[in-house]
Amino acid sequence: MATPLAPGWTEHKAPTGHSYFYNNETKKSTYTRPIAQAQAQAPPPAQFIPSYGSGQLAGGFQANQFQQNQYSGPQYQGNQFPAQFPGQPPGPQAYNNGGRGGRGGFRGGRGDSRGGHANHDRRRQEPEDKPKHRYKLPGCDPWVLVKTKLGRRFVHNTDTKESFWKFPEDVMVAVIEYDRREREKKERRERGEPSDVEDEVAVMAEEPTAVAEVEPGRAAIVPVQNNEAAEDSSEYEEIEVTDDEEEAENGEGPSKRQRTDEPDDQPVDFDEDDIAYQLQAMGEDYGLDPGEYGIDEDGTWEEGAEGLPLTEEDSKALFYDLLNDFMINPYTPWEKVVEDGYIIDDDRYLALPNMKARKDCYDEWSREKIQELRERREKEAKKDPKIPYFKLLEEYASVKLYWPEFKRKYRKEGAMRDTKVPDKEKEKLYREHVKRLQLPQNTLKSDLSTMLKAQPLSQLNRSTPIEAIPSAILTDLRYISLPPKIRDPLLEAFISTLPPPPTDGVSAEDQEAEAAKRRERRRREDALAEREARVQNDKRKQQKDLAYGRGKLREEEMELQRAMNVGKDGLRGQLMEQLGEKDERSLVID
Amino acid sequence: MPPIRSARNRKPPPEGFDDIEDTLLEFANKMKDAENATHEGKKRYETVWPIFQITHQRSRYIYDLYYEKEAISRQLYDWLLKNGYGDANLIAKWKKQGYEKLCCLRCIQTKETNFNSTCICRVPKDTMKEQHTIECVSCGCRGCSSSD
Repeated sequence: MATPLAPGWTEHKAPTGHSYFYNNETKKSTYTRPIAQAQAQAPPPAQFIPSYGSGQLAGGFQANQFQQNQYSGPQYQGNQFPAQFPGQPPGPQAYNNGGRGGRGGFRGGRGDSRGGHANHDRRRQEPEDKPKHRYKLPGCDPWVLVKTKLGRRFVHNTDTKESFWKFPEDVMVAVIEYDRREREKKERRERGEPSDVEDEVAVMAEEPTAVAEVEPGRAAIVPVQNNEAAEDSSEYEEIEVTDDEEEAENGEGPSKRQRTDEPDDQPVDFDEDDIAYQLQAMGEDYGLDPGEYGIDEDGTWEEGAEGLPLTEEDSKALFYDLLNDFMINPYTPWEKVVEDGYIIDDDRYLALPNMKARKDCYDEWSREKIQELRERREKEAKKDPKIPYFKLLEEYASVKLYWPEFKRKYRKEGAMRDTKVPDKEKEKLYREHVKRLQLPQNTLKSDLSTMLKAQPLSQLNRSTPIEAIPSAILTDLRYISLPPKIRDPLLEAFISTLPPPPTDGVSAEDQEAEAAKRRERRRREDALAEREARVQNDKRKQQKDLAYGRGKLREEEMELQRAMNVGKDGLRGQLMEQLGEKDERSLVID
Repeated sequence: MPPIRSARNRKPPPEGFDDIEDTLLEFANKMKDAENATHEGKKRYETVWPIFQITHQRSRYIYDLYYEKEAISRQLYDWLLKNGYGDANLIAKWKKQGYEKLCCLRCIQTKETNFNSTCICRVPKDTMKEQHTIECVSCGCRGCSSSD
């Protein structure tokens, strides 16, 4: 100490190594050394009374939790806080996290508020604090000195489980003693005896510098109140805790202060959280989105972390698009899709956070896609499986080949391998076709024309292109038995003679339906006619029977009548006859 | 003598087989490769692992298509099982609770084991004592119990 400081001023070290001076009352800091003036002000020992820091930490765990909820709940719920104070220094929350309550409370706070980038800001501003080191205090047995991650210190009584930010009197002595020893140790180390710890210290010393550089918005002078401890007892009063937002707004972020102080006092642990924090801070200063630099803490970003908010549906839709764009066959298993790896290189592949989500998404997509395919196929007209076989016949069938020969010769053809047309059917068609090939051409021509004439006008008319002939014609042997050279002109000529298609605006389906109706009607009529014929038959039979019966009756009647018709003359005649016979007999006798 | 049914003169497979034919063919090729793969440097029981694996995958594929995605018809499903594309017994087990991920039937067979118990892969991960990975002897499964 060269010259005594003016009262009210304290000397501090900036992270860059400069020492500067801070007046606690006027809240001013300067690099130039304020020399003692005629100010009759006593150096204030501790202006900042920690609002709740002096509470019992371990015992007051519940209370801490509660306070945190209070803070994180209403205050941070909306977006308004970070909007009002962009680049806002840490709110009180960071300081709730004394002792053991810190971690849980921090998580809880995050869970509470889900608004935009508030989350993100808060994470940046309020790194969680937690106990880091624990030192035994010499000659003060149940008490231990605990150093938190942010470099703050408190004492803890292992027996009574009490913790204090503010050191009790008896403990204070031990702490001072401890500090002295630490300093001695450090000095010894600096003098010689290089150890591996030293390198670490050097690295650590750089860290706060980097932070200070990447955050130029901050006050270049970072006031540290409690650092050089030996002559300034204020350290042992622990001034750091404050709720004052105005001060926070001034950029004297206590967290900042705490993060950067005493880099060379003890080896500060520089762990992954710190790295993540720094990276984040740098990324923000460069105007990057958190998605663009690679820290991933929870596997997913909070909502709104990545530029525009990307909802779950959006990312799902993106993945769907990806699958559609790559023409993935929905029938392939997911493992195969991943194995092929076409989609992996695409950015949209990363829209979903993990593999499970992707698999689920794929399953859903393929399910929908298959459904869609099926519906489309149902709508499509069914193609006759025989058509390719007929083409094959037309091309290769010849009188010179028997069916087994033909079959063997063209077994590799797709139409021959197709199992939709059974083998028997193929054989039958082949034989018939070959038989027809031997017929004279005139017969074939007349057969063709009769076949064409039999086609309904809706199927075959003037506007039918020669390439789109109905399958009823294509799957007819009479069509292929003529060679195309002769057949096609004939067909064209026939088509040109046909009238245009029926223009009543009915579609093919309607016509189909109508045809079905007509068929039905004809069937009914036929049935009716048949029935009538049968009835007529029956009637005729009946009448015949009747007539026969009548005739018979008449005959019988006549017979009866004849029998009844016994007249006198009949009897007499009989008698006469008998008499005459007698006479004759007598005459003969006589 | 019964008529010989070759691929040519058999009845055509049910509708929808064309869609999955390629995938099944791939499985068949994989299976052929696995069958013909060299056994050198492998333990005796290890040689059959890929066979089991492919069988499982193929059965799973058919199971998913029919039960999860409803992409194939009942006729086709039955036809596939009848023609040995999937293992009907394994699929039957998958329908039971606790067996949704069962790797193979041998792993739940208690008869032929030393302690009359199921395979090690049926033990839930959280109840396993040591945390190192396991591979069961019968099919190389690393744990298929549904509780984990």
